[in-house]
This record gives sequence, structure tokens and C-alpha cells, in this order.
Amino acid sequence: MRIPILRIGRILLASIQVEMSDSDALRFQNDVVQKIAEIEALGIAIDITSLEVVDSYMARVINDTATMARLLGAEVVVCGIQPYVAMTLVEMGRDLIGANCVFDLEQALLRLQERIAARGDADLDKGS
Amino acid sequence: MPNSRLNQISILLKRDGDSIRQEWTTHVSSSWNRRYHGLVTDDELRLHTRRLIEELIALFDTHGHDAPPDISAESPLAELAIELSASRAKLGFRPTDTALYISALKNVLTRRLVEALKHDSDTLVVCLSAVDDVLDRLALLTFDTYVETRERIIAQQSLSLVELSSPVVRLWDQVLLLPLVGIIDTVRARQFTERLLASISKYEAQVAIIDITGVPVFDTGVAKHIMKAVDAAQLLGSRIVLTGLSPEGAQTLTKLNINFSNVINRASLRAGVAEALKLVGRRIVATGAQA
Repeated sequence: MRIPILRIGRILLASIQVEMSDSDALRFQNDVVQKIAEIEALGIAIDITSLEVVDSYMARVINDTATMARLLGAEVVVCGIQPYVAMTLVEMGRDLIGANCVFDLEQALLRLQERIAARGDADLDKGS
Repeated sequence: MPNSRLNQISILLKRDGDSIRQEWTTHVSSSWNRRYHGLVTDDELRLHTRRLIEELIALFDTHGHDAPPDISAESPLAELAIELSASRAKLGFRPTDTALYISALKNVLTRRLVEALKHDSDTLVVCLSAVDDVLDRLALLTFDTYVETRERIIAQQSLSLVELSSPVVRLWDQVLLLPLVGIIDTVRARQFTERLLASISKYEAQVAIIDITGVPVFDTGVAKHIMKAVDAAQLLGSRIVLTGLSPEGAQTLTKLNINFSNVINRASLRAGVAEALKLVGRRIVATGAQA
């Protein structure tokens, strides 16, 4: 099934709430990348609160998605990693996107705004 | 006068030269005009065919034995063919249309020879094989020249492309812009890296924006070249802002495990400029006055 990608201003929000098949995961990745390029998103929050289990493939997809988003000029924050998932990830030796993880969605949005405010192109569209 | 059965050819050419030329030109120009209308004038064609037939007459007139004459690339006949082929290639003719010129003459000449010598089959065979040999050789020369000319044109074009397409622009004090357009190969990569580094040290640039909106294919090779430029620029003390990466490019890079982690990535040149200006402590503001 398709993961909806929501837009709040120039921030995107993707919440993964169901287990994804491998092809779903790839489609999700593609959707995110296209959407970021389309609206020139400044940031994206990826919420994985509902994910109970993460396998190595899933971990890589999330990791890759984050890298692609950063290459396209968006700030990335991942939120809601469950304790069990965190342990799995550490045991697999994968660190998710250089520690840009926060506890919940609220903090994710705060963190995104903080980092976007520090950027040079943040208020490019304001007042013009 | 040297005695050879091949003299029959020059006798035929002298006698029927005009009508052969007529038939030949009509054939060539009717097929050229369909595709390349107006590129070759009738006068030009008439002049050239006359010279070629005169050279053929001279060749077979002075030829002393029955074996087919040898045509070197320096003979006047070969030079004529080469000259024609080169000019056709420059005008953008297709190879088949260029080769048609010689093969049309061969058709006409063969038919006339068969008519003229139908009672002397021995001489006919010798003459036909000589005509075949000479004109085939000319056709091959034509083709060689065609390819050479085209290759020279391509080499010139890629040279001028290199010259044209990687300028380093001084966007503001201490801010440089390197817009990359077209295919990035090793030669171009080295050239733009050199220019970028030279400009950075000349203007003491703190920030360099590399814009890759105009790069159609982004693969390992291109990424590696840009990575080298980035690393070198950072050694000089500049920060790099990379702009204009396409979604497909981002996906490719990630799959290749290249993440440009030491570079600031921005979606558009516009965002990149804003970022670069911020890095040097400047900002673009509206003045409120509109012209």
C-alpha cells in the first residue's frame, strides 16, 4: 500500500504506519524523492512510530531515503524509533542517518524548524 | 602514343564524354536535390564532373599496358574525389549520398562500354575490370575522406564545447559560481577543476556554488570528478554548495554509496545563492522601490 506524504508549508511529513513489502518500500522512497524535488522541500520528517520490527532491508531503505533527501537539499529527521527497533538497528551495525533522530513528531517538527531557520534559503519566499 | 586496350576507354570518353556527363549529372543531381536542395549548384557539379572525366581520359590515354592503372592518393584523379567528398561531408551529406557520386559514374560508364565494345568481348572484359578497379578505388578514397572530415569536425566541436561550457563566474565578493552544462568527461573535469581552483585563490572565495542542473547524466564517473573538485576546493579553504541535482541523480548517487557528506546540498541555484550569501554574511533584501 502507498504511504501518504503530507505537506506542511515546505516541510514534508511521511508516517509509516504499516509493515511495508519490499516493493512498497521502494515506491515510498521514489515518492519521497519526487515530492521533495517537486516542491523544493526544506525538510522532511519520517515517522516510524508504528514500526515494531525493522529488518536490514527496511533499515537501508530509510537510510537511503534520508541520504537522497539530503542530496536534494532537505533537512531530514527520523522520529519514533521504538526501543526494540533501536536495538535491532544497533546490532545490525547500521546507524540511521547520523543521529538525526528524535523522540516524537512534535520534537521532529521543532528540530526541523530549528535547522531550517539556520539555513540561508529559509525566508527566501517570505515577503517577496 | 602508348598502346593498350584500355585506350578504348579514353576513346569512348572523348567521343561520348558530353553525353556520359549529361547522364551522370542528371542522375546525381536528381537524387541530391531531393534531400539537399540548393546545397550544390548545377554549375559546380558540371565543372567538377568535367574535370573528373578529363582526368580519366588523361589516365587511360597515357596508360601503356592492360593491367588496371594504379591510383595513389596523390594523383590528380584521387585529389578531385577527395576534394569533392570533403566538401560534401562539411555540407552534412550522408555517406551513401556522397558515395553515390562515383558509383553513378561507374554505372553509366559500364553501360556505355558494353554498348561500344559488344563485338570485342576480350577488350570489353579488360576495360570493364580496369574501370571497376579505378572507380572502386576512388569510391573508397571518397569514403575515407568523408569519415576523416567528419571526425575532424567532431573533434573541433568538442574542443569548442570544452572552451565554452565551463566558465567560473564571480557571483559576489568571495562567492563563485561554476555552472556545469553537458557531458562531464575526464578532460572537461580537469579543466573546470583547474579553473575553479585558480579562481578561488584569485578571488579568495569562501564559497563556491557548483550548479549541475545542466548535466544530463549523473553517474559514478561524473560524481567522482565533482568529488575531486570539491575536495581540492575544500583544501584551499572554500565551502562548496552543490545545487540542481535531479531526483534521479540523488537516487543513483545513494545507490552508488556516494553521499557528498562534506557538501551543502540545495535543490535549486536560487536556494544555493541564498545559502552562499548567508555563509559570507550577506543577504538579498527587497528595497521597496520598484522601477
